[in-house]
Amino acid sequence: MAAHTGAAVSTSALSKRFGRAVALDALTLDVAAGSIFGVIGPNGAGKTTALRLLLDIIRPTSGSALVLGVDPRIGGPELRRRIGYLPGELRLEGRITGRNLLDQLARISGPVAPGAIDTLAERVGLDLTRQVRTLSKGNKQKLGIVQAFMHTPDLLVLDEPTSGLDPLVQQTFLVLVTEAAARGQTVIVSSHVLSEIEQVADRVAIMRAGRVVRLSSVQELRQSAARHVRATLSGTDVATVRAALEADGALSALSTLSAGLSADSAGISEPLGTGSVCISGTLNGSIDRLVKLLAGFTVVDLRIEEPDLEESVLALYRDDEPGSTREHHRDDHRDGRRTKRHPHES
Amino acid sequence: MSRDATDSVAEKPDDEHPGDGHASAEHPAALQAPDAHPHTLPLLRQSLVGSWRSLLAWSLGLAATILLYMPLFPSLGGANSQLSALLASLPPQLIKTLGYTDIASGSGYAESTFFGLVGFLLMSAAATTWGSAAIAGDEESGALELILAHGVSRHQLVLERSLAVTVRLVVLAAVSGALLAAVNPSSQLGLAGTDIVAACAAFLGLGLVSGSAALMVGALTGRRLFSTAAGAGVAAVSYVVNAIGSQSAALDALRSFTPYGWAYRHTPLATGADLPGLALLFGLSALFTVVAVAALRRRDISGA
Repeated sequence: MAAHTGAAVSTSALSKRFGRAVALDALTLDVAAGSIFGVIGPNGAGKTTALRLLLDIIRPTSGSALVLGVDPRIGGPELRRRIGYLPGELRLEGRITGRNLLDQLARISGPVAPGAIDTLAERVGLDLTRQVRTLSKGNKQKLGIVQAFMHTPDLLVLDEPTSGLDPLVQQTFLVLVTEAAARGQTVIVSSHVLSEIEQVADRVAIMRAGRVVRLSSVQELRQSAARHVRATLSGTDVATVRAALEADGALSALSTLSAGLSADSAGISEPLGTGSVCISGTLNGSIDRLVKLLAGFTVVDLRIEEPDLEESVLALYRDDEPGSTREHHRDDHRDGRRTKRHPHES
Repeated sequence: MSRDATDSVAEKPDDEHPGDGHASAEHPAALQAPDAHPHTLPLLRQSLVGSWRSLLAWSLGLAATILLYMPLFPSLGGANSQLSALLASLPPQLIKTLGYTDIASGSGYAESTFFGLVGFLLMSAAATTWGSAAIAGDEESGALELILAHGVSRHQLVLERSLAVTVRLVVLAAVSGALLAAVNPSSQLGLAGTDIVAACAAFLGLGLVSGSAALMVGALTGRRLFSTAAGAGVAAVSYVVNAIGSQSAALDALRSFTPYGWAYRHTPLATGADLPGLALLFGLSALFTVVAVAALRRRDISGA
């Protein structure tokens, strides 16, 4: 059982090619049971491909996966009954009411506790009496969320669940996810932007061009994220402050990143006429060393901003961008069939 | 897990660790015990419930055809009727192409106007529509991805949906047969009840071939266009080859190679069931379905 190994989902060099295009390149990760795991990445990063592999909707080119302790290739309906899945591009058509559709799905994947559908629908604000084809995108998404949660599956795999939802329902969704994790359910949730899930995710994998470029806890991400720092010191001069900064190797990041924000290239300036020194710049990593260094001076003013996670994620997206991603896009065009076969990520 | 003890046991996670107990925190679903399963053939029921409008429409189409054509027979038919005289004046190739060689008899009339022509057209169109919607249509709309992420296997999906198409085609054939039997006396067709059953079985088999061909190509490609082309193509090619085969004794052998020929070349409405022909029709449909199961099991499902 997965809980014994601590991993609800575990992949090993899981890869998927569509024709010549590499959609997922040797994905290796573990998702702890009972945790909320975020998969973040731009379009075409391989998020949807990875999630669809876990559901056995598509099959890996190489590598393997264990979902709740079972290979999805052989787990079959029994395994999928224990998973709640929200497709990335949920299109619902047909002259069927939301309730009838959910009842049909419950018959396949049940059991669904009595009243569970109504409770969920009420919480997300979904009218179950309307025909699904008449629902707006946001309401279809709500229906998708209800069908994923209704049978209280051990694992929830949610591909861009918040797309189309208004901010209030997004918050409700995050509460649902938190409650699920509190009950011991494992949640994997993908998004374009970290901010949508940062408040609930325990760990995140940041993906780009089919690879995980960063795998860490949100806390680690926050700690290592760039912060804008600004301090004003009095009773000292630029030379002294610069010497102190340069004496501490750990703060070299500050001096290298301070360019442009202040009067001199090292990020240290002496405001005219005040006799004090101003440090400003972007600090990557721990703030502890900086605070200790500043303690040796008289600090007139100190501002350390909230780390900007989105900015550091975007930086990860951009890393060596011109190489492999362009190759990917070229492959997209070369393989005509692929546009049909490859899951579109929005 | 307590659910569905009857299902195939590909994984039984708790068995690996009998010590856990079932209602552990790792299995929240097990906490909500009431066991609502097993639901028999959920996908079949879903398909049938979802398609009653379309089934009704096609049934009405077939009924209208029978009710429009059959009552005309007494005024047209008979060996010495004006129709016979008119047909005698037409080029024999045209008569053979249309299958009107025996139109002066009740069975010949019913077969050449309904089973062989308009009914055949409607039956093939309905079968193709349903067959291509079953897999390819759902896949293109993205609905297949959602349903296959639930507790259903791919072979179960193909088989239940094939069965759903079959049930609807059986309804069409039964409606046609019943109506034909009903108008048989008043329209002076002089058909034997068993022959009506035999003709309807052939009619059904012909529909099944188109429907299963469409479904199979849907399972192979996931494309509605290809799937529809396959279903309609089987019917059209079959009809055309049969028509060519009717032109002369030398070409008659061609008719043994088409589903249309298997269904009608021994004139079931006049002479009763042609068992080898029926076996070929149903056998080919079954073969297509088996290929569909194998095809869908092995390939990736494309997204919306």
